[in-house]
Formats: sequence, C-alpha cells, structure tokens
Amino acid sequence: MSSISSTANFFDRPETKLLVPPLNFAMVTSGIYRSGHPLPINFPFLEKLKLKTIIYLSEHDLRKVNVEWASRNGIKVFHFRMENCKLPFVENDPEAIAAALQVVVDSRNFPVLMHSNKGKHRVGVLVGAMRKLLQKWSFASIFDEYGQFAAGKEDSDIEFIEIFNSDLQYDPKYAPSFLVSW
Amino acid sequence: MADDLNDDDFDSNSPSSTNSSTASEMATLQHPPFQKLVPPLNFCPVEDQLYRSGQPTPINFPFIADLRLKAVIWLELEEPSEAFASFTRANAIQIYHLGIESGADVENDEVDADASIRSSGRHPRSTNPWDQLPESRIVRALDIIAHKDNYPLLVCGGMGRHRTGTVIGCLRRVQKWNLASVSEEYRRFAGSRKRVLIELHIEAFDTNSVHIDQQVAPPFLLY
Repeated sequence: MSSISSTANFFDRPETKLLVPPLNFAMVTSGIYRSGHPLPINFPFLEKLKLKTIIYLSEHDLRKVNVEWASRNGIKVFHFRMENCKLPFVENDPEAIAAALQVVVDSRNFPVLMHSNKGKHRVGVLVGAMRKLLQKWSFASIFDEYGQFAAGKEDSDIEFIEIFNSDLQYDPKYAPSFLVSW
Repeated sequence: MADDLNDDDFDSNSPSSTNSSTASEMATLQHPPFQKLVPPLNFCPVEDQLYRSGQPTPINFPFIADLRLKAVIWLELEEPSEAFASFTRANAIQIYHLGIESGADVENDEVDADASIRSSGRHPRSTNPWDQLPESRIVRALDIIAHKDNYPLLVCGGMGRHRTGTVIGCLRRVQKWNLASVSEEYRRFAGSRKRVLIELHIEAFDTNSVHIDQQVAPPFLLY
C-alpha cells in the first residue's frame, strides 16, 4: 500500500477520480503555469491544461516517464540546466533564466508549464524575473509572491531577481497579451 | 511601444545580449520599466480571467484596470471601501456583495436559515467577521463563478485569505482537486494565519449543491 503506484491506483479508481495538480501548482498569468516536478499521478490533471510547452529548470535529466508522457501529448520540452542556488558554492544562472524568458515572450508556446523540482526556488526566480521585466510588478509584490512558494528558505534568490537583467528579443506579432501594454 | 525604451542610456551587459541585425522586425525589452504596477495583496490568477486577491486600494487601481474586470465578488461583512466602490462604479464593474445574508444581491435568494446554522454553527445573521461564510453564500459565489458572462471576474475579501480561500477552495473541490492540493493552495495565501476550521469547512462542502450549466460555464468548468 505504500508504493507510489498503489497511490496512483487509488486516485484512478472511478469512485474517487480526483485530479491531482503537481506540488506548488499555480497559474502565473493567462497561458502560463508553474509547479514542482510532475509525477505520473499528476498527468490526468495536466492533460486538461492542453499544454504545448514545458520549461524545466534543473541540473538533472527529466525523468523518462515524463519525457514519454510529454511526447505522447505533443508537448515540447525546453530543458535549461540550472542548479539550485546554494551560496557560496552555486549561484543562480542568469543565462538559463534569460533563455527561459525567451520562451515565455512567444505566445506560440502557450499554454506553457514552467517547473523545477520542488516548484519553490528556481521557478520562483524565473517567475520573479518575469514579473519584473515583462509585467512591471513592484519588487515588494514580487518578493511576497516568491515567499508564498519558497516558504521561508529564500537564500539570495530575491537579490538575484532584483539585479537580474537581460535584453529579450520578441516578435510583436506573437507577443503575449501582458506585453501589449509596452 | 517597445521602441520607446531604446533611446534610454541604460546599458545591459547581460550574457544574452544578441542584438543581431537579422532581427529587424523583432522588438527588444532592454530593462525593467520605471513605472511599476502593484497587484493587490494576495493577488493570483485562479483560472483564465478569474482572479483572487485582498481588497484593492488606490495604489492597485492601475493594475486592476488592466484586468478589465466585469464583476467582483466581495466576501466581507462590511461594505467595500469607498475608494474601491467608486473605482468599480467608474469602470462599470458589478459588485456582488456576498459576505452578508441580507442585501440587494440576495433578494431573489431563498436563504435556508437552518442550513446556514448547520454549516456555520452560528446564527446566520451574525456580524462576527470570524464566522465562516454560510454555505448558501459559497454556493451563490460558485454560481457566479460558473457563469462566463461575469468574466473577467475578481473574488476578493479584506486580506484575500480566509473568505476568499473558502470560495476558491470549494471551487477546487468542484474541479475535483484532491484535498491536499486544495489545502496547500489555501495555506499559500493564509500563511502563518491559516485556520484549520476553514480547511474543515472546505472539506465538508457538498459539491453536489453546485450545478454547472454547461451552456454558460467558463471553459475550465466544462466536462
């Protein structure tokens, strides 16, 4: 009864038939979602989102079962290798964040799910960078949102969000609606 | 649009600066804008064009204006602030005041007092802000959420924690989310002030009391 697969069977049973979002799942803005690493138990939920793209921020390979699920559902995966920030040894990688944002400024990739492993820190940094560079949010609002997911363990991520900058190229024809006000 | 930014002397040395000449029809975002937008406390999109937050204050109005709201579900006992009320009037946004058992909005609603007592454990016309939202008000809120004519729609209360969390939690149950995920979402906004009673209330909510009319429901509530 303790294995993952028996849990999955429980949720699959017709009398329960629950939908299980991945850990730390949330909508970021229309067409963009965030979460931790999806598990097979989350696939029925995610299939309802009709995702076109996944952005994965991690130094690890995506699990084989996720790769197969993504290709079965025609979902394009962008994997940006990025380690979790562990000062003083590992810092956030601005190139990975900039590359991920480049995917986000093209609405042809929508709906997109951005995920890391826990959905707290790396994805929090990506969402923070997006709120700042693309959506004009005040820093206090960005840090508050970051903290809702990171829950206390913040390291230097919010400093990174404050300092990070990048020239992003986008095609106005395919700009997401949140860029229209530019 | 984006061209306005280029005459600025802000110079970025970021590693991805690839100002190639091939990108003639591409636009460039070079630096964060100087004018900031401030979302209301505990703001978050719930689904496409459905939002949750605490009560917006004037500093949030430019942000809220961008959402082009059609309606607001207001869940507190007291009236919304005069500033927020006049913002909604000026922008032709309809307010559904559901935090109370009486008022213009409930004229057509048959309030089942017994059910309210059962679900809230208190007198249905109590004015204690700590009281749970009565079951009938949650159902009414979900009826409004289930009608796409009300979109874009904001669900809000004072701080966007408990009453807002109750309605969104019950919506998630209607969407067949598992309870752990529903509670995780509630706690994300309630933070250290989370109340087990709210989570119990969400758990006990009878999802069969909500009827989703497939003709008028927003896409995320379609089967």
